[in-house]
Amino acid sequence: MPDSLKTQSPTQFARVAVVAAGMVSPLGRGLSETLASLRTARDCVSRVTRFSVERCRCTTAGQVADSWLEDALPNDRKSRRLHRVSRMVIQALRELREQAPEFRPELTVVGTTSGGMSFGERYYRALQGPNARARKIPEWIANYPPQKPMVDALEACGLESPCQVIANACASGTNAIGVAFECIRSGRYERILTGGYDALAELVFVGFDSLQASTPDKCRPFDGARSGLVLGEGAALLALENLATAEARGAEILGEVVGYGLSTDNHHLTQPHPSGIGPRQAMERALASAQLEARAVDYINAHGTATPFNDAAEGRAIAELFHRVPVSSTKGMMGHSLGAAGAIEAVITLLALRHGFLPANINFRAPDPELALDIVANAPRATAPRVALSNSFGFGGTNASIALAARA
Amino acid sequence: MSTRIAGLGWVTPLGSNMEDVWQKLRAGEEAEASSLGEGPGEKQAWAFRVAPDFIAEAARHPRLRRSSAISRFAVVAGLAALRDAGLELDAAAAARTALVFAISNGGVIYTKRFFHEIVKLGAQAASPLLFPETVFNAPASHLAAILGITGASYTLVGDGAVGVLALQMAEDLMANPELDRCLVVGAEEVDWLLCDAYRRWRLLRAQPPIEPFAQPAHGTVLSEGAGAVVLGRTGAVALERIHPGGNFSRQRELVRHLDEIGRELAAKGPTDVLLASANGTFVDAAEKSMAARHFPEATIYTAKPSLGESVAAGGIWQVICAAQALRRRELPPLLGVPSDFGLTSRKSDWTRAVVTVCGMNQQVAALSLRV
Repeated sequence: MPDSLKTQSPTQFARVAVVAAGMVSPLGRGLSETLASLRTARDCVSRVTRFSVERCRCTTAGQVADSWLEDALPNDRKSRRLHRVSRMVIQALRELREQAPEFRPELTVVGTTSGGMSFGERYYRALQGPNARARKIPEWIANYPPQKPMVDALEACGLESPCQVIANACASGTNAIGVAFECIRSGRYERILTGGYDALAELVFVGFDSLQASTPDKCRPFDGARSGLVLGEGAALLALENLATAEARGAEILGEVVGYGLSTDNHHLTQPHPSGIGPRQAMERALASAQLEARAVDYINAHGTATPFNDAAEGRAIAELFHRVPVSSTKGMMGHSLGAAGAIEAVITLLALRHGFLPANINFRAPDPELALDIVANAPRATAPRVALSNSFGFGGTNASIALAARA
Repeated sequence: MSTRIAGLGWVTPLGSNMEDVWQKLRAGEEAEASSLGEGPGEKQAWAFRVAPDFIAEAARHPRLRRSSAISRFAVVAGLAALRDAGLELDAAAAARTALVFAISNGGVIYTKRFFHEIVKLGAQAASPLLFPETVFNAPASHLAAILGITGASYTLVGDGAVGVLALQMAEDLMANPELDRCLVVGAEEVDWLLCDAYRRWRLLRAQPPIEPFAQPAHGTVLSEGAGAVVLGRTGAVALERIHPGGNFSRQRELVRHLDEIGRELAAKGPTDVLLASANGTFVDAAEKSMAARHFPEATIYTAKPSLGESVAAGGIWQVICAAQALRRRELPPLLGVPSDFGLTSRKSDWTRAVVTVCGMNQQVAALSLRV
């Protein structure tokens, strides 16, 4: 990128490369299917099939087909016990390992919000009914903890690595990538596996419904008549490595993580400060971390949940910080996958940087007159972005933004 | 620049004043277990609870008005650790402070209540007031709001090893010169549902005592509370080395990890004190074997017979006990061990302590402290 867009001369910090990635989401299984869905702006949201939504306002979500996960594991007893979110993580890790079989992480930092929550739900339902002695209860309990899917995936792929599992609500995935980035940039680590995962769970689905944060309509990020989010699920993993080391061994570089910013907005447990100060600080800090001017940013993959408050706060912050930068939220296509969202959207952003397009913000009908944004409305836009931000904001006032750069 | 322990705070079933609880541990006191009532799992559950008096300070904070017990424990412990460090966070100091929160079971009381309404009455009865408190990072959010922290705030989830993994993350964050300190808090609350789950997992004993290192293992008793450590640039006790350990799915893998951890930490110098996570379960035998092999001179201690097994909070309590042992050059008596237990010494010019945390769901980690 031109030096004129950098705020300072390069420092002694290590540069951080993405050397491999893997994902499964409602957009498809693997990077190729994901890319195809993004290029066609496919709407992958459908009626929820995993549990009853009869008494919910919202009845749709982005869902990962079980058939996509069938070959994630052998059909043995131990594998059959695993939660489907473990299968998603295994699927993502397998894809990543195909690209970088030699990648051995010193540390794993991932994000989630609820891990194998539906096993906890089954256990509780069993206790409340005639199946309080159900034989499967110990299995459900053992496979319910949120760290379990990552531990399962490492084991399934023959990798050993300590795991830090961040549960910062919807910002978890971006936080995980940011922490991993800073660990390598500081020189303390060479290789870190990072990402995020979450599977649809009734408790969470009903929780968002009870808050009226989810919508009975389509998810329409930044639309003037937006009415809420739809949930999603999936897993995405990224292999981060010191760029110099990766180049020395001839690794293929998918892109670079160049900055990370976070903020904590103490306004309310579930709502952002209406001024947008939380998102604004996170993006400002990501730019400062990347030593970049705002005008260096070619695209923002917004958090864009389509709730009136969230999009207003984020949109306001983007409009204040950037001059008509193209913005899209990909949640209209695949739903909001909570702890996985930041990781999935980071991979989507990398695909956009690598393949020269901006993903579409689908279901967009009319702009919000309060938000002066350049929305990539309804169809992908062909261009050659060099630097992009990916935002995630969550309950508890956690705000995170990472800056990604195309490989020059 | 080394990372040092600048302040300690805890909320335990024996109290929330650092010195009072330490003296009770020294006197060999055990918290009194109370019944949590009978759930549909038909078995009565016993656990060590935190008395309301111990967290009276929480009532001063309007933000905690609707919060679950776990958030109150965390806030009281966090504020105590900051006071112990001599810190009062103004806006400038808060901006240079990070928060790392360790949690395992999380807000189980509100989560159960929220889901119970869904199961019994249907989705339309779900409470929008309860749901936000079920989120793992709700306690950290409350604490950050009370302290005015506007920067880094992370909640880590895991098993009993998560407290040390949180300290590892905090140490990594401290590599950033823009941070002066990191507050690390581990917290848990108990409920009959949790006890039922651990019982079905064959890890729980019906009632106290917890008998560490007993063979066969009789099981543990759950407890609740919080522990808090302020990591800073100054302080008498240095965080010498964190070993992030690894994951295990079989007992032999736990033994192998502990052997590697023991070998590496023992190589860094003589160890005077070993704070074990022994809690009356399968982890005890593996820890005992590691202690005998790599730390034969160390005095071994676990506070779990007195305080119970509090998972994420328990790991931080271990670190607090290790730091106290080095600060005070004394340890409370090890309770409930078999009469032939031979892994203790009476040397007291202590300079180094090792803490091992073996979780009950696949994670193991360790650290060493030095004065």
